[in-house]
Amino acid sequence: MDDILIIKDLTFKYNDNIIFDNFNLTIKRGTWTTIIGPNGSGKSTLVKIIMGLIKSDSYIVIDNTLKTNDNIKEIRKKIGVIFEHPDSTFVAETVMDEMAFALENLELKNDDIKRKIKEVSKYLNITHLLEKNPFQLSGGQKQLVALASILVLEPTILILDEAINRIDYVERDNILAVLSKLHKEKGVTIINITHDIEEAVYGDDVILIDNGKIILNGNKELVFLEEKVFNQIGLDIPFMASLSQKLMYYNLIDEMTFDMDLMVNKIWK
Amino acid sequence: MEIKFNNVGYIYNEKSSLEKEILKDLNLEIKSNQINAIIGKSGSGKTTIIEMINALIIPTSGNIKVDNCFIEKKSKIVNISLLRFNVGLIFEFPEEQFFNKTVEKEIGFGLKTFNYKTDEIKQRISNALKMVGLDDSYLPRNPHTLSNGEKRKVAIASILVFNPKVVIFDEPTVGLDSNSKNNLIRLIKMLKNKYNKTIIVVTQDVDFLHKMADYIFVLSDKKVVLEGDKYQVFSEVETLRKHGIGVPKVIEFSHKVLMEKGIKMGYRDEINDLIKDIYRYAK
Repeated sequence: MDDILIIKDLTFKYNDNIIFDNFNLTIKRGTWTTIIGPNGSGKSTLVKIIMGLIKSDSYIVIDNTLKTNDNIKEIRKKIGVIFEHPDSTFVAETVMDEMAFALENLELKNDDIKRKIKEVSKYLNITHLLEKNPFQLSGGQKQLVALASILVLEPTILILDEAINRIDYVERDNILAVLSKLHKEKGVTIINITHDIEEAVYGDDVILIDNGKIILNGNKELVFLEEKVFNQIGLDIPFMASLSQKLMYYNLIDEMTFDMDLMVNKIWK
Repeated sequence: MEIKFNNVGYIYNEKSSLEKEILKDLNLEIKSNQINAIIGKSGSGKTTIIEMINALIIPTSGNIKVDNCFIEKKSKIVNISLLRFNVGLIFEFPEEQFFNKTVEKEIGFGLKTFNYKTDEIKQRISNALKMVGLDDSYLPRNPHTLSNGEKRKVAIASILVFNPKVVIFDEPTVGLDSNSKNNLIRLIKMLKNKYNKTIIVVTQDVDFLHKMADYIFVLSDKKVVLEGDKYQVFSEVETLRKHGIGVPKVIEFSHKVLMEKGIKMGYRDEINDLIKDIYRYAK
């Protein structure tokens, strides 16, 4: 697998505060990475820099294209971002118009727009919402609509910026299932940026950042062995990681297990 | 201080095409000097309930007794400013309401409008800061430049400065990392234990709630569908799920073992107690 996102020697100051100082990051194509860090660790700034919402002169390669000041539109087509408050990105009065908005800007033919909307809304199971007003939907439905209006553009990278931690638990399960499907079937690279450590049990890799620096980076099974490092910056590790480690110590299971069903079946074979 | 809802109903945009009934015949009695929690899916009416306690909105039917005051449609509230002094309401993301240049001005702003003397304002600001675990060195600082956890503390202090008997928190953990959450739990417990406040917390964060709530009300279908101490409420895993509410991970695990393996391990607060149970039952 090649690297779909490469950031080299990123330095960024905000007023006199240094947010990033020689920051380096690579994300492999087709992976699901959770970027976790305490409040104020630089997570949201990172998204803005990747999207070109904040200018920076650093070396950033996205899907084999070097980001410059001229190709920012092209770069943004490759990346879809879902933010914490989807309302702030909605522009249309129906879900269908919302999904069509970006496609119309790309001057696609009407038939193609309709076909894409049909395809994506079917895939996400939201055809029943197409005529509804996006502002009047539930939190989880809003995020699905935000996702739908991104997926019509067929991004190769999907960034979730604190996008799921405020959604009701039932709806969150549904969104995570949709994201898993997208990740597996379409190979979309997912980068989930969050302060909620429990979200790190989904996906493959975990990157822990604090004060603009990468503290830990790797496969979640390995990263969560470093419980002390998390504690030092005021974070816990996910419940399942903590339980796994203790059960491994008592020889009740042999490896880190993030799925509760799987763990119960390992203990009581 | 008594807070009691009697057959309270609330309809938004009554008699219009956007009419929506949020609460119906709701009965609820807040436990004094305890940490009360109200949980429910989004849109279940949690925020409506707490805004009523402060008389920001008035029930469309029924009434709420707060101390000696009735909040109801048919009669005017006699002393609404006293009610609002007694009931402090801290909204979701309270720090977004900052508009002063120093912490001192931010916390003191409310008192100033009520013609308090300068000395008393100073004393109250200092006390409020102390309650949230900050000292006077924060007074001249710009609230916008504080860390997220500190911002939230200052926002809470600007309510505590009124010395309310009841403190209501709307989704207080939203946007906080685990460190700041643990600080908030300590703060809320201290407000109850040391300062004898009645606490009402509205939240969807069940892990947070499990660590601090004394008494829980579960809101669904426009009314309270389940209430009790946290042990009683969280042992009803299936009922909670039916109403779209999850349970803390430590309880989810025991429940799964009971359902799939038929082993009853009991209710555990801490992961270490859970491990002991697993060890005992797995051998």
